[in-house]
Amino acid sequence: MNTNGNIYTIVYTAVIVVVVAGILAAAATFLKPAQQANIKAETISQMLQAAQFETAGMNNVQKLDKYAGEIDRAFTIDARGAKVKDLNVSRNNIELVDGLKAQNYALAGKGGYSVGLPVYILKDGVTVIPCYGAGLWGPVWGYLAIEPDGCTIKGAYFDHESETAGLGARIKDDAAFRSQFVGKKIAWGQEPRFDIIKGGAPSGQQNAIDAITGATMTSNGLKGAINNWLKAYEPYFNGIIAAKTAEEEKK
Amino acid sequence: MTLKETFLNPILKGNPITVLVLGICSSLAVTVTLKGALVMALSVTVVCGLSSLVMSLLRKGIPNRVRIIVQLVVVALLVILVDQILKSIEVTFPIDKQLSVYIGLIITNCIVMGRIEAFALGNNPFASLLDGLGNGLGYGLILIVVAFFRELLGSGTLFGITVLSPEWYTPNNLVILPPFALILIGCIIWIHRGVIDKDLQEK
Repeated sequence: MNTNGNIYTIVYTAVIVVVVAGILAAAATFLKPAQQANIKAETISQMLQAAQFETAGMNNVQKLDKYAGEIDRAFTIDARGAKVKDLNVSRNNIELVDGLKAQNYALAGKGGYSVGLPVYILKDGVTVIPCYGAGLWGPVWGYLAIEPDGCTIKGAYFDHESETAGLGARIKDDAAFRSQFVGKKIAWGQEPRFDIIKGGAPSGQQNAIDAITGATMTSNGLKGAINNWLKAYEPYFNGIIAAKTAEEEKK
Repeated sequence: MTLKETFLNPILKGNPITVLVLGICSSLAVTVTLKGALVMALSVTVVCGLSSLVMSLLRKGIPNRVRIIVQLVVVALLVILVDQILKSIEVTFPIDKQLSVYIGLIITNCIVMGRIEAFALGNNPFASLLDGLGNGLGYGLILIVVAFFRELLGSGTLFGITVLSPEWYTPNNLVILPPFALILIGCIIWIHRGVIDKDLQEK
């Protein structure tokens, strides 16, 4: 048979492409549940690490167990800080909010759609909230754990898609960078609510940390991500702080 | 060449990295940790072996004008499958994330396409499978040797377990950077030409 004819070539490539597409579609469908379970466990692990729980060496089941053991309640809120709906926190049906990217676009007024702002409240009263934004090469995101007083940061954990290894990637890899967040206070109502300062934060400034040397764009991106999301959460936390103050005055 | 030689030759004597000097780029990128190198080595072995097998099976029917495109499609299919499988296994999920683009870049690894062009298109499927697996393992062997030294000296650990205690060993940051991998590979090529195959030395 002539394998160099035009018709043969076109039919051959068409068949190859269709077969390959079929195999890929089948594989993607078949493997999706396992991949999503891994992503879910990773998200949970990041939230736990933000709240200063150690998850290194845990497998997926242990991570989910740990989360189910520590979580008190979770729900989503709207832009006014009002509760929209509860998220399931029982061990066998843990519900998380995905679609932070779409939510981020919605917050920035660039289209996107609102998936609701998730609030995860642990048994010790610590609130874990996400943030999401643009780094230098791709998205950066993370979780902030906020003490029951509504402004002190208990811890933070960040991740990124493709920041430069050894520079921007230190937002994830460098424990010293993350530990700077511990004990800092969010300045609600101010601009910025939390600052990451190139060249070092002045000592005594409660709402700022040092940026990473050589990773200015990533540091600025992370600062933007944190501030955009804190701004969206502000009505909710103002409500909490006001309730706390009223309670103390009553005493 | 016997089938045994087809399989064993690329592992040591005709190693794709030290003799053909192919696949250098990824061997600089993925050898910071042993876990990453091991996963990469297995992935390349699987892709190289299976793509050689598939191309050898197809070799008589491929229109010559679209030969390279068909090769790319087959290799890309296998790489995407490997990536998807790594993502869905709990143990390899974090390693796949750490390797990020480098798993996808196996498509561009010269060893894979090189073996298809040089061997699989002219030989029977079984010999092609062995040739592909052998080359993958030869690549993987060098990867693991390089990663052993880089993780040991750069982080003081092996497979994430601390071997050189940070109390008396200060990790060498140069070892973590890609240039050191190139120095190590240079040394391995030197040893290869000095000990394993003296015929490769310039007269």
